[in-house]
Amino acid sequence: MNARILLLAALLIAPVSGCEKISDLFGGKPDIAFAPYGDDYASKPDFAQVEYEHPIPLKKLVKITPKYLAGLNQEELDQLYARLGSGPMPDGPFDGEIVFPRGSSGKLRAAEIIGGLKGLGVNFKGKMLETAGEALWKGKVFYRNEKVLRNRIEDLAVLRPVIGPGEIGKIDVDGKDAWLLFPAKLYCGQSLIDSRRESIIIDYAFTDEIHGYREKPDFLAGRRGLKVRDEIRMVRPGLYLGRAYMDHAFILNFVLYSKDIDKAGRAEFETGQIKDDCWSGTQKRVLAQR
Amino acid sequence: MKTSTWLGFFSIASLAVLAWFTHQPDAAFATVPPTPVLVQSATSPATDALPDAASPYSDAGFHEGEAGLSPSARAGREIWFKATAGNARFHTYTFQQRITALIDWFGVLRSDARDTRFKTWGLINDPGCCKPGSDGCPAKSYAETYGFDWCPGDQELLKFVGKPGYRDPACDFEDASVNANDPEGHQKGREDSCNLAFGTSTGALGFRKFPNPRFDPAAWKQVNGNLGTWEGYNRKLSNDPARADAKVRKLADASIEPPFLIGTACASCHVAFNPAKPPLDPEHPKWENLSGLVGNQYIRVSEVLISGMPHDDLLWQIFSHARPGTSDTSAIPNDQVNNAGTINALINTAQRPVFANEKVNRWRKAAACPTGAKESTCWCEPGKPGKCWEKSLKTETVHHILKGGGDSIGALGAIQRVYFNIGSCSEQCWVNHLTDLRQLDPQARNFGQTPFDIGQCRRDCPNFRAIEDRLPNLLDFFLTAPEGQAKDLVEARANQKQTPYVQTDLVRDLESNFGKDAVSRGQQVFVANCARCHSSGKPPFETVDFRAIDSKSGLRADWLGNDVPTPVTEVGTYRCRSLHSNHLRGHVWEQFADEDYHARKTVSGILEPHDGGRGYYRNVSLVNLWAHAPFLHNNAVGPELCGWGGDKTNAYELYRSSYVDTSQPGNPPLAKDRQPACWKYDPSVDGRFKLYVASMQDLLNPSKRIPKATKVDEDIVLDIGPRIFDGQEEKRLVGFTVRVPAGATAGNVGNFRHKDFIVDLVRAKLKPAELEVRLATVLPAAEAQKLAAEMQAIGKAIVSDPNRLVDVVKEARARTPALWQVYASCSAEIENDGHRFGEDLSDADKNALIAFLATL
Repeated sequence: MNARILLLAALLIAPVSGCEKISDLFGGKPDIAFAPYGDDYASKPDFAQVEYEHPIPLKKLVKITPKYLAGLNQEELDQLYARLGSGPMPDGPFDGEIVFPRGSSGKLRAAEIIGGLKGLGVNFKGKMLETAGEALWKGKVFYRNEKVLRNRIEDLAVLRPVIGPGEIGKIDVDGKDAWLLFPAKLYCGQSLIDSRRESIIIDYAFTDEIHGYREKPDFLAGRRGLKVRDEIRMVRPGLYLGRAYMDHAFILNFVLYSKDIDKAGRAEFETGQIKDDCWSGTQKRVLAQR
Repeated sequence: MKTSTWLGFFSIASLAVLAWFTHQPDAAFATVPPTPVLVQSATSPATDALPDAASPYSDAGFHEGEAGLSPSARAGREIWFKATAGNARFHTYTFQQRITALIDWFGVLRSDARDTRFKTWGLINDPGCCKPGSDGCPAKSYAETYGFDWCPGDQELLKFVGKPGYRDPACDFEDASVNANDPEGHQKGREDSCNLAFGTSTGALGFRKFPNPRFDPAAWKQVNGNLGTWEGYNRKLSNDPARADAKVRKLADASIEPPFLIGTACASCHVAFNPAKPPLDPEHPKWENLSGLVGNQYIRVSEVLISGMPHDDLLWQIFSHARPGTSDTSAIPNDQVNNAGTINALINTAQRPVFANEKVNRWRKAAACPTGAKESTCWCEPGKPGKCWEKSLKTETVHHILKGGGDSIGALGAIQRVYFNIGSCSEQCWVNHLTDLRQLDPQARNFGQTPFDIGQCRRDCPNFRAIEDRLPNLLDFFLTAPEGQAKDLVEARANQKQTPYVQTDLVRDLESNFGKDAVSRGQQVFVANCARCHSSGKPPFETVDFRAIDSKSGLRADWLGNDVPTPVTEVGTYRCRSLHSNHLRGHVWEQFADEDYHARKTVSGILEPHDGGRGYYRNVSLVNLWAHAPFLHNNAVGPELCGWGGDKTNAYELYRSSYVDTSQPGNPPLAKDRQPACWKYDPSVDGRFKLYVASMQDLLNPSKRIPKATKVDEDIVLDIGPRIFDGQEEKRLVGFTVRVPAGATAGNVGNFRHKDFIVDLVRAKLKPAELEVRLATVLPAAEAQKLAAEMQAIGKAIVSDPNRLVDVVKEARARTPALWQVYASCSAEIENDGHRFGEDLSDADKNALIAFLATL
């Protein structure tokens, strides 16, 4: 039983990029500038300067795709994330895609640390883990009015013994249904990577207070489990870039996409009418002016 | 073992090790003092019926302190007392969520504990505020004030709890005239005073509150039962010690929005009792009893800032031991040099020594920028024609501020940096530059510090500009306000006796205590033994009148300290503070140190890293020494102080004995029956004088000092790994437990550079030759080889039994002492060591010196 729970835990935090369905929806590559950086932490540019010197025009944000995001290394993702605002708190179901941290070589960062042939092995294993995770985690569902979120987990018989008997909430998205597990609270809060403006926080710490909580397996994400805390910022309506932490230690990036919301919000976005729900800071953003 | 298994292990082990330096963010409870019963009103806040005019409680007393001040000094005083410069976000959200320490603001500021606030926290009550329901208080129930004191301005502020649109009182701030010598653009373009962000008092001076527009009264009632308390918000989740929730408080739920955001002004740490006119009741001072510049010798600011943490949490155990009146100013911009320093008395500043011909690279006011200048060297504020700043290297005369003189780009720059220390512009300018203690990848952001950029902060943070444009007001307040003048013992006794009492009376009384001619003999002893460091005059000191008045400032001419940096090896005091590294190149406050600081000669004879300007202490001022005991930079020489008498069964008592037995291995805590009792706070004239005498005796008789080293006083237990609850019992699925036992030296834990250690553990496994080469850069070759082998052994031992992590490191340190040299920022233990000057004097001369110094 424990092994299965741990498997689920691993899947909770470690599903990886794949989701070609999403990626295939888009083509082209936005020409987004990044500030120069080196490998060492001290060589990473200050986010305030990155944003000041390399603001991202709306027309480039419109071109960003999940596939593009999945191809960025971690420093590029960090620089991109820092130039985003919270946007509105999402509502409804989103498809999910997860992006493990990659170093400047393009390999998973863990593989880079090990290096050599062993590093190649770790890179390979990491990608297998990505594939396994992709099979289970389908995305998230936001309940904006309730300030609650639930994760969409593939309905698989193999996980039933872990989850135990009883009714599990379900959702049908595009004809495919999934369990709704791992509820979390939604609020505006501090980003753990960029303090200059708030992010939308998906916090599992008090998951047991949310209606529909079931100890197995939901505890895994909560304060007695892996202490998961996600944060997201909006690329544009319907497309959010997220970061997942365990006990405040960064684990991975993820992408959330809703085709319907993207389509519905496009016009407003392109005319600069979409506002952040959360504190947007005091550094002047020149996003809409260029 | 496979490499990937090693990596996996270390990713978990790292959680344990880094947890030595951090906390478990969701695990938070404090030993909550017994809860007084709150008188509740059944009604919602009815704040319309709270007119200032009908109340004896108002800001009038504060404004009476402006008498005689220049407009500029008056403005500076108000800023000093009230301006938070926007740090309420930091103290309500950023500190908790990003820095991951919880503050129980209600526990600290609850109105029903106003009468014991000083004893518990060392905070100074605002005379203009009152407990709801007390006589004459405009608020009749705690529900009206959400459990806080009612304070002037609340009749307006309370209307906006849960609503947008609050107009900050700082918007109506009465600015002083601008400097006519400034470029016109600076004169006309002063930043909007709203960005000073005053809010209203919380009831404790310097702590300010702001209405939270996100507050939801319905949600608050659901959590707390009613609007007048935060008892549901700061409650423990479980009383069952077997449950992980026994260490969790609801405060950790960041989805809950409290009614107030809490900010701090400079006065929060610097305001305290006027030594010459102390209050009869310290819990209920009047404005005439207060000084904004004397420095709070009683505040337990470290405990305030982590008041929401459990007492067996790592953060509580490591940081909450600062003695009353001291603060570890590098605890938040953490440099893993665990130390605390006194809150300085900012008195007689006009006579403080300055240092000429120092090379200062800083921003200066300009009317325009040269054509083609880069913004990194010259910048004009958009929409403010002619308001420009240019950065350049020039030779200037500057003060040396901070214990080691790190702030050295000028007094204005040093004052501005204080606002960052209290949280201003944290989000825009400096939190992104801090070390994240959990970040273990050397390539990732926040693995280490990066420099704060003054130019960027000016551009992006309006609160920075609001302060910067008024820095001369603050300096004028320091230089000219009566609050910043010395308060001599003779004046204090005259006030106390309510009869004429002059210098000859004081000398007579001192000599009756310390011997015939003690004062004059004491001066001779001072000249021969102390004045070379503790005088701002010039030798020969035999001719110096240490009590002479400067004709220009009207202040005592001698600052009684030369402010010159002295190698810590010469002073011999606890060296950790001198190894403070935040002003080094590449570190967060790099731009606040001048070139001379960065180029200081390296002090020889220090074990740990000490280059780049570190390794020195300034020679401090002895002005009004009678009123500022205990002594040394950490208040460690002299009796230990406490609020409630040291009774540890009293949950309000935060005193922790630091007396240790150095005759035993590991310097364990001294047996309780051998520990001297702590002294209760006594800010009266007699109380200060007795403390002064006892502290001087301790200072001059170092061989009689009982050594002090702050110890962990409860086991720190870190359970690593998920736990499942079946409704009856919690079971851990995987993981291990790390236990730091009570009795460990808190400083050693806080100073352990876990990141370097973990990176090298991985290196020892994957690239042992590379590790040996690295270690050989800081150790002799043979020791480097030995330590490299030790690191491999440590790695294997931890992997085989992670529960023994602490013991493994302790055993390795015993075998290979170089381990601590490489991985500790500071390994000093005894906090009241050193400064043995004068120990060879005769008892009569020591008494004479005590008598003489009491007159200064």
